Amino acid sequence: MALYDFQQVKDAIIPDVSGVSPKLDLVIKDGKHVSVERGFLRITGSTQISSEQNVAGFADVLRQTNELTLEAWVKPANLKQEGPARIVTISKNPSERNATLGQQGDQYDVRLRTTRTTTNGIPSLSSPKKIVQTQLQHVVYSRNRFGLARLFVDGRVVGEEKIVGDLRNWDNGYHLALANEVGGDRVWQGEIHLVAIYNRSLTPDDARQHFRAGPNAATKLLAEKKTNPNAELFETRIAGILAKHCLECHDPATKKGGLDLSQKSTAFAASDSGKTLIPGKLSESDLWVYVESDEMPKKRTALSAQEKEALKTWIAGGATWTFETIDPALYQHQSDGVRTFVRRLTVDEFTETVRVIFDVDISQEAKEILPPDLRADGFTNTGYNLTVDLGHVDAFAQLAEIIVNRLDVKKFAQRFEKSEKLTDDNMRKLVENMGRWVLRGPLDADEINIFRGISTTVASAGGNFEEAVGFILQSMIQSPRFIYIMERERGLGESRIVTGYELANRLSYIIWGGPPDKPLLDAAERFELQDEEKLHKHVTRMLADPRARTHSKDFISQWLNLNRLNHLSPDPKLFPNWSPQIAKDMQQETLRYFEDVVWEQQRPLADLLNAQVTYLSPELAKHYGLSPQGNSIARYELEAVSSRGGLLTQGSVLTIGGDEASMVTRGLFVLHDLLRGTVKDPPPCVDTTPVPTKPGLTNRDVAEMRLKNNACGGCHARFEPLAFGLERFDGLGTYRVKDQYGNTLREDGQILIPGSAEKIAYENSTELMNLLAKSERVQESLTWKVTQFCLGRPLVAADARQVQQIHEESQSHGGTWYTLIMAIVTSDLVKTSPTVSLSSEEKR
Amino acid sequence: MTQPRISRRTVLKGLGGITIGLPLLEEMMLTHGWGAPVAEVPTRAFNVFFGLGIPAPLQEEGYDGVLEPLKPLKEKLLIMRHVDQVRCDEKGINAHYDGASGAFTATPPNGEAKSGGASIDQLIRRTVYQDGLPKGMVSTLVAGTFFRRSRVSRYVHSYNPDGSVAATMQERPRDLFDRVFGTIGSSADGDLRKERLKRSVLDTVVDQYKFYAGQRSPLGKNSRAKIATHLERIREFEQRAYEMKDKHPLAPKAPKPSELAHGGQADPGGEGIDMRLGDLVEEWRLMADLYALAVQIDRVRFGALTFLAAGERLRITGDYEYGGRKVFTFNDEKQLGKSGSAGCSHEWWHQFRENKKNEQLRAHIHMKMREVAYFLSLLDQPEMKEANGRTVLENSLITVSTESGDGRHSDPKRELSGIFHAITGANNRFKTGKILNVKAEGIDVYNSMLGSFGVKDRLGPNDREHQQVDKIRA
Repeated sequence: MALYDFQQVKDAIIPDVSGVSPKLDLVIKDGKHVSVERGFLRITGSTQISSEQNVAGFADVLRQTNELTLEAWVKPANLKQEGPARIVTISKNPSERNATLGQQGDQYDVRLRTTRTTTNGIPSLSSPKKIVQTQLQHVVYSRNRFGLARLFVDGRVVGEEKIVGDLRNWDNGYHLALANEVGGDRVWQGEIHLVAIYNRSLTPDDARQHFRAGPNAATKLLAEKKTNPNAELFETRIAGILAKHCLECHDPATKKGGLDLSQKSTAFAASDSGKTLIPGKLSESDLWVYVESDEMPKKRTALSAQEKEALKTWIAGGATWTFETIDPALYQHQSDGVRTFVRRLTVDEFTETVRVIFDVDISQEAKEILPPDLRADGFTNTGYNLTVDLGHVDAFAQLAEIIVNRLDVKKFAQRFEKSEKLTDDNMRKLVENMGRWVLRGPLDADEINIFRGISTTVASAGGNFEEAVGFILQSMIQSPRFIYIMERERGLGESRIVTGYELANRLSYIIWGGPPDKPLLDAAERFELQDEEKLHKHVTRMLADPRARTHSKDFISQWLNLNRLNHLSPDPKLFPNWSPQIAKDMQQETLRYFEDVVWEQQRPLADLLNAQVTYLSPELAKHYGLSPQGNSIARYELEAVSSRGGLLTQGSVLTIGGDEASMVTRGLFVLHDLLRGTVKDPPPCVDTTPVPTKPGLTNRDVAEMRLKNNACGGCHARFEPLAFGLERFDGLGTYRVKDQYGNTLREDGQILIPGSAEKIAYENSTELMNLLAKSERVQESLTWKVTQFCLGRPLVAADARQVQQIHEESQSHGGTWYTLIMAIVTSDLVKTSPTVSLSSEEKR
Repeated sequence: MTQPRISRRTVLKGLGGITIGLPLLEEMMLTHGWGAPVAEVPTRAFNVFFGLGIPAPLQEEGYDGVLEPLKPLKEKLLIMRHVDQVRCDEKGINAHYDGASGAFTATPPNGEAKSGGASIDQLIRRTVYQDGLPKGMVSTLVAGTFFRRSRVSRYVHSYNPDGSVAATMQERPRDLFDRVFGTIGSSADGDLRKERLKRSVLDTVVDQYKFYAGQRSPLGKNSRAKIATHLERIREFEQRAYEMKDKHPLAPKAPKPSELAHGGQADPGGEGIDMRLGDLVEEWRLMADLYALAVQIDRVRFGALTFLAAGERLRITGDYEYGGRKVFTFNDEKQLGKSGSAGCSHEWWHQFRENKKNEQLRAHIHMKMREVAYFLSLLDQPEMKEANGRTVLENSLITVSTESGDGRHSDPKRELSGIFHAITGANNRFKTGKILNVKAEGIDVYNSMLGSFGVKDRLGPNDREHQQVDKIRA
């Protein structure tokens, strides 16, 4: 109902930034002892900071809910101020109040007027002694409609009482004041970083979340909530409906009936039959008329009743179209299905987590025991596909034992607690401190209980300290908080700021593929990661760490599926000189090339498509028809080699087409992975057996036959021409100008960028690579791919706006790996998280 | 002893939905490796502990007061009043813990996980079975239904002479079942303990997954479903690793997993937990049934059984009935008007005043006596009769005790004096059918009991002159 973040204090006015009407601005009436700092007030003596208006506006609301929460981030100047010294008060004078949060020595004290307490709010709810500290503290007083009042300090309940009665007798004429009683005489000194008043109670979980989110969270959340419901409907439903039902025939390339529904400008323009979309006028919008009568889509499934209802609401509500082009790639997944989905650590992440946390290398055992992760949506770290089977559970149990057996348990425990007593206090302290490190964030009381319980079980079986800690660690390693990246998902259905610890984990798994280090966890503890400048410093530090480079190679490896090469076994009749080592060398070529372009030269990511350099073993050089240099993998300049240069000319990618160098497979790779295009699967009745080449019939000829076929051409035209420029590379990436039948091979062609109507011609593969490298669509696609890898999930329509911002931010600073990762981790895709409300779950 | 018959009633009573088929058990009796049947009455000693104690003045009321539930067994019990454990007091240490450590050992605790010396049962075992117990027998069975666990002595009541626990505590019916019927692992005996601890770790892992898959989870629906799948896999793993391996072909069906809090969740930092009386009694009686069954089929002759820990903190609710009459309606939190630890039944002991009614305190103690009597009566069923015509209850040494004789924490001497003790006749070694004011130290009472078994070792310091307490001897 009222929120003060002290970010925009001007002319002694502290604006209420809650966005709730009526606003209740505060005025600094006596500024002698008040200094306005960036984001907080410092009070050094007696002052008057109070509202000009009375609190009638929100008192009425509070009477309805009969609930109240006072929240403050404060840094008391000393532990002696008493009175209680008023931090936040809604009152008239020292003995008449609606509510007051105050400091009484080393205790916080809250008085609340109800129909059962006095007009002075007595009896009050106090914290225990020694709770107040002269450092930034989060203090929340929350009372629910049943009268249960709780006082939280730094996310923990420190006081709880029944404050019975209701708020009917609140006085509308009182004023809100900070740092002193209205009328003076109860001065409080210190810093106030945030004050918020809510007309609802907070649960202990809420209070903990607010604490972990830090003092800046509330304002950030508010800043986000400026959306137009009609625009939101377009982005979350309508664009997807159009992509699913309409764009197959009404995109720029096909444009049946002269209608292109993929773009704002063309969708609102007149089509052959009249006006397609007229905002607010359903009966005059052809789109609605045809869809409602099921005349459209032609020969396809009609829209469902819910889809029609959404379309109707959208057009009637003004048909807001927020972005220029609808990209069908965005609508392959439902937002709800993938955006909130707990992600298991991959085998590599698990191994790295163990290495960092315990300094134990289990890479060999993990590879042998843990089932391998499988690819989904182009990556092996895709959350929804990181499932768990019996083999995982067995492996985690075995690995936990192996890890603990290799660990000097006592020495490890000493890092967190010097004493080796099995007493309750000692073990709880150890579990709390050790758990924060092992489980990458603070433990709550229940978790401490659970792990502490293991030590009592061990003790009652006659075990000692070392054995108890060993079993606690085994349990922690098998805990969901170790195996998964756990975050709070339930909420009010809105976006929320992630907590400092959640952000620390996101940063470290994105940048390093492993857990946060101590500086990062400490920064989370101190709320530093919510500060843009400090966050930037941490990310810079992390990107300079060698782990960032190592983990980035995992991106290229997953994206191009380089592990596929481990199992490459071409037909020996066609390729008698093949050796599995060449496949390994192809992997190395791409990985070293990536390191060179991205890390050593720090070039834009799109340069991966046409950088004139590569890394070859002597065998691979020979395989490519180049003169070997030296006896091991060496760097080759390719300016003088017209046929090579860029990822698409490397064996690791070219082998995607199989022995026959399939244009379909290669073309689909370019379409999906570089241009982010979509195409539907072939109808079930179509014979997809590859047509073999023969004298007088090249792969290109076969492809062109397909393009001319009415049944196939519509879709194949979208991707096969993308591979024309690669025809001279055989199935294993060897360059030749004639095939085995002596047919002359071509390398010219045309590409059609998804979303565009115009084809662009190229003469040879070099031109194709340059075209791709310069293509805005390719650059965007690389942003999308890296973002998907970072988030560990496919991107959906709800992400589109933020990914576009990430792309623009990164491109404006050079479009390098560094700028892209920086843009991603400082974006709201990483700093905020969607939540799922219980009610929405029930509806589904 | 003669081949014991197994009472269908003994097995099924209190088991709730647990299916333990009688024919299977009868067949089991004939199999080898389950403790060989013997013709003579074996020597047995068990310690039965109940938490929080009985204030000495209430003991004075005899069977007319809180001891009423023991009355049906009075001819087979010797109630000992005025037994002091003051020597167990350790300054600065929790009085509940001191008293609980003293029970059955008469020595103060030695650190957080050890007692000051052996417990009665273990000294008798070492004397009587110097060459070990018959093959296939569980050497010592320690079990209990309890929740507070900050120190081992609060709930473990069988100790080796060096003060270490005599056996691993079995706190879930399923654990006790496995221990008795030996379903876990094929590993060598030395690894069994480790196997059980590993299983205990797995239990805590299950608890964590249950939280994330449950209604209190911070996760959304999709993620909860994923965690629920993981949980299913863990249970499958658990079953394969621990339940299907080396399972005796004739073993009955295992009890269902416990629904009550165990491990760390049972003791959230001394804050106490909510407990419905019915749930508590159901689990305890299942434990008691299984323990009695283990005794009856001669799988175990020594050990301890705990009904609620020393200083237990529970917020109990529910109607308490005895003998067809409603004794009291428990609702500690409401009746105390406080939440958290201050709303636990423990507070009634703090509030004990001789000149007051102490209504709630009496009801709680009465309930504890009902449950202790439940276990004792299981050993006194007709089918528990042995070669000498007496029941297992009469032939065994069963020592019932607790931690304090006053719960006010205002005077350690008073608190550790007058601690309730009851013993059985131990095959006519001790008097029964009496309530004696023994007016002796626990150490002397215990040593006198040991003497009756021919045990040469003594509890407590060697340089102390032991006082024989002959009045308890038959």
